[in-house]
Amino acid sequence: MELLWDGVVEAARLLASREPLVLDAAWRSLWVSSLAVLAATAIGLPLGILLARRRFWGRDTLVLAARAGMAMPTVFLGVVGYALLSRRGPLGPAELLFTPWAIVLGELLLALPIIVSLSHGAVRALDPRVAQTARTLGARALRRAWTYLSEARLGVVLAVLNGFARCVTELGVALMLGGNIKGETRTLTTAIALETGRGEFGRGLAMGLVLLAVALAVTVGIAVLGRQTSEEP
Amino acid sequence: MIRIRQLEVYRGPTRICFVPELEIKERERVGLVGPNGSGKSTLLKVLAGLDATARGQCEVAVPVRERVYVHQQPYLFKMSVLANASYGLRARGVGAKAAARIAAEWLERLGVAALAARASRELSGGERRRVALARAFALRPRLLLLDEPLAELDPHGAEQVAAALGELAESTVLVSGPSSLPGGLVSRSHAMLRAPC
Repeated sequence: MELLWDGVVEAARLLASREPLVLDAAWRSLWVSSLAVLAATAIGLPLGILLARRRFWGRDTLVLAARAGMAMPTVFLGVVGYALLSRRGPLGPAELLFTPWAIVLGELLLALPIIVSLSHGAVRALDPRVAQTARTLGARALRRAWTYLSEARLGVVLAVLNGFARCVTELGVALMLGGNIKGETRTLTTAIALETGRGEFGRGLAMGLVLLAVALAVTVGIAVLGRQTSEEP
Repeated sequence: MIRIRQLEVYRGPTRICFVPELEIKERERVGLVGPNGSGKSTLLKVLAGLDATARGQCEVAVPVRERVYVHQQPYLFKMSVLANASYGLRARGVGAKAAARIAAEWLERLGVAALAARASRELSGGERRRVALARAFALRPRLLLLDEPLAELDPHGAEQVAAALGELAESTVLVSGPSSLPGGLVSRSHAMLRAPC
C-alpha cells in the first residue's frame, strides 16, 4: 500500500512541477492516438455503412474479419508492422520505423476493426424505415449515409470512443514501432513500462495516473457530446 | 401511368401480394381497399421502387425520384420537425432557406406549423403523421403513395389532408385505407384480392 501511496504523491508532484518529460509523453500519447482514430474513423465509418447497407460478394467474410480484428493483439500488430517498416521490409524506404508516424499507422490498424464493427452494428440495428424513408424522399447515397450516421449517432460515437480508448492505452505498437525514444516517440504507456522496469515504481504509477486522467477526460468529453446529441430518453 | 398485370410478391414461399390487373391514369386518385394481409402496403412499396422482388408486369411511367411513399407508421428522423419536413427538398438540391420556407407552408396546411421547432420524438402519433405527410407533399411528387394516411387523424385532420391533396392537382395519388375512404380523397377504389398462397 505504501508503494501505491508513494505513487500518488509522486504523481501529484510530477503534475504540479509540470515535468517536461511527462508532459511531452502525455501530449504525444494524445495526438498520436487522436490522429490514428481520426484516420480510422474516416475510413471505418464509410466501410461500416457499406457493410451494413450493401450486399456484395465477400461481405459476410469482411464483417467477420472486422469482428475478429477487434481482438487484435497489439504485440502482433507490432511485430507485423516492424517487419513491414524495417529497413529490409517492403515499406522500409519510407523510413517510418521508430517515428511517431509508425505508431499512428499501427494504431490506425488497431482502431479500424473496432470502428468498422461497431458502426456496422449500429447502422444494421436501425429501423428499416430509415433507409426506405431517406430513399423515397430522394436522398442520394451520400446523404443517405449521413442520415444513417445521424440516426445511429449514439452507437457511432461509442464506436469512435472505443477506438480511441484502445489506442491511447495500448503499449505493444508504441513500443515496437515507436521504439520508446525519449522526446521523439515516447508515449505515456512506453514511459510507464520503462520507469517500472527500472525500478522507478513511483514515477511509473504517477504516469499511469496521468494516462488514466487523459483517457477519462477524453472519454467523458465525448460522452457529454454524445448525450447532447443523442435522442435517447 | 401505372400498368400492372399479374403482379406477385413472395416472402419465402408465401405470396403476400397478388394483383391480376390494375391501370391508373395520370392524376387519378385511387383508393386500395381490401382486408388485412391483402398486400396493399406491399403494392405501394413496389410502386415506390422500394421493393424490387416483385414478379410480373409493373410499369410506372414516372422516375423513382418523382414518386414518394409514406409509411403506414411514418418514420421521422431524429431532428426537428422543420428539418424533417425539409429533408426531401434538401435532398433535391433546394437551398436551406427556400426548403425551410416551403416546408413551413406545408406544415401550416396540415395544421402542425406550431410544432416546427420541436424534436420529432416529442410528437404524438397523429402529429407525426401530419409531419410525414407535409414532408411528402412538399415535394409535389408526380406519384404519391400513401399508406393509411388518415389513421390516427381526427376528422379535422382528415379534412386538412384532403384539402392539402387538393393543392396537388398534378399528382397521381394512391391511398390504402379502410373500406370507406372519405369523399374527395379518392375518385375510385380498387379492391385488393386476398393473396392466396
